[in-house]
Amino acid sequence: MSSPAGAPGAHGVHADGAASLAVEELVAGYGEVLALNRVTIRAGAASITAVLGANGAGKTTLLRAISGLVRPRSGRVLLDGADRAGRSPEDMARAGVAHVPEGQGVIAELTVEENLRIGMMSWPGIGRRRADQAAALAEAYERFSPLASRRRKLAATLSGGERQMLVIARALVARPRVLLLDEPSLGLAPRIMTQVMDMVVRLSRESGITIVLVEQNARAALAIADHGVVLNLGRVVATAEAKALAADVALRHHYLGF
Amino acid sequence: MVEFLQFTLGGISFGMIYAAIALSLVLIWRGTRLLNFAQGGMAMFTTFIAIEVIYKTGSYWAGFVVALAAGIVLGAVTELAVIRPTLGKPELNSVIVTIGLLVLFEGLAGIFYGGQFRSFPAAVSVTGLHAGSTYLGVSRFDVFVAAAVLVTTLLLAVGFRYTSAGLRMRAAAFNATVARLSGIRVARVITVGWALAGLLGALAGVLVSPSTFLYPNSMDSVFVFGFTAAVIGGLDSPVGAVIGGLLLGVVLNIAGGYLGANVTALVALGILVVVLMVRPAGIFAGAQVRRV
Repeated sequence: MSSPAGAPGAHGVHADGAASLAVEELVAGYGEVLALNRVTIRAGAASITAVLGANGAGKTTLLRAISGLVRPRSGRVLLDGADRAGRSPEDMARAGVAHVPEGQGVIAELTVEENLRIGMMSWPGIGRRRADQAAALAEAYERFSPLASRRRKLAATLSGGERQMLVIARALVARPRVLLLDEPSLGLAPRIMTQVMDMVVRLSRESGITIVLVEQNARAALAIADHGVVLNLGRVVATAEAKALAADVALRHHYLGF
Repeated sequence: MVEFLQFTLGGISFGMIYAAIALSLVLIWRGTRLLNFAQGGMAMFTTFIAIEVIYKTGSYWAGFVVALAAGIVLGAVTELAVIRPTLGKPELNSVIVTIGLLVLFEGLAGIFYGGQFRSFPAAVSVTGLHAGSTYLGVSRFDVFVAAAVLVTTLLLAVGFRYTSAGLRMRAAAFNATVARLSGIRVARVITVGWALAGLLGALAGVLVSPSTFLYPNSMDSVFVFGFTAAVIGGLDSPVGAVIGGLLLGVVLNIAGGYLGANVTALVALGILVVVLMVRPAGIFAGAQVRRV
């Protein structure tokens, strides 16, 4: 743990650190349409798993089913082996699952600091001491220094890259065990996108957070991921180490477009 | 000139009552995107409870406190029992439910308390205040009304701005999905919003009834003016609700003073039409940031 505020355990927040996440035989859908058809993925503790595939492949629904925004019809969502399928998003957040939905991670009408404070809402009550809050904020500002000078500004005034930085900083404040990121690079300039990807890697390596990353930009995602999963029309069509997926020319052409 | 001053000052206490109703509508609107048409009926009912307590105990303040507490309970229970099952269904369902609640509360009040007009006591003297020999158009009670709503509004504003519970409420109002994903129990926040709205409505009921008398329909026109104030200020803006209420109260009192009481409803309608034409989202919609 590199956290200057001490190990998360000192705060009584998700003391057990990273968690493994497994999804088994998950079925979910909207009306008649099955968006996920018996999807199984495994993400080891403190690993980065890239979920890839075309539009409509079921990537976003997978994240929503894990975090509880979509109630799965059947299957299991295992957090460190315990099945939590069908729990509410509030419960999943309190169990240590942070989900950053595509393009709407920050609350534009709140200030930067208020957005960061939202990250504390999933802390158990005993962890809400003022000193802990101040330490968590100080840590976030130290790691993401551009946010420090804007702390009283509305999040609406931030650039796209700064917004993603704020979202990731808030995830750090929440100290989740599992972080679900939906298209964090969407709409960002290439240079900013590289920075965001670097932040994702640091979050996993330094804070030991298990990350599931949904990305349109398969090349960039596979470059930082440990494992990759390719979805097509709601089914898993490939799952392998990220390097192996990136080296599979036929798969890349067929499903990933690079 | 003296007349104008009298009408203006006299409009402030009515304006603050409209502001309280408007604010209660805004609290519910921000949490659930729902207009609570039963707000006035609920306020009338809690005012009847207050008058019963005042008769029984002989204490105005006992009735005052019980009315506010009853408003909190009635708001929370209404949300939990009646509104929650309609959320996530077509929006018209919950609107119809609130109209049904209005009919229910007014019917129950008629059954329990009868339909006759009852006078409701004022907290303090209603004799007019003077500066030297000039009548100011307001009484000590008008000052109390304005102060009571102002203090309640300021307490709410400070609570929203500076407390963790307030931040949860704002986060849930602005982006319920992100709030839920952050572990905020949005359903609980919505219940609290209804409870606070019930409190504001009950306050408005107790404050307005010395001027309007109390009967099952006595809050109907107050509700309409409060609703108008909320639309003028912008249904998303608590600040707008208060300013909209004050503005409406003062303008209506001036118009009524010069042109006769019969024109006030017409003037209110005129203001509403103009605001909706010029700024459909309300005067203070500009304070709202682009919704992503």
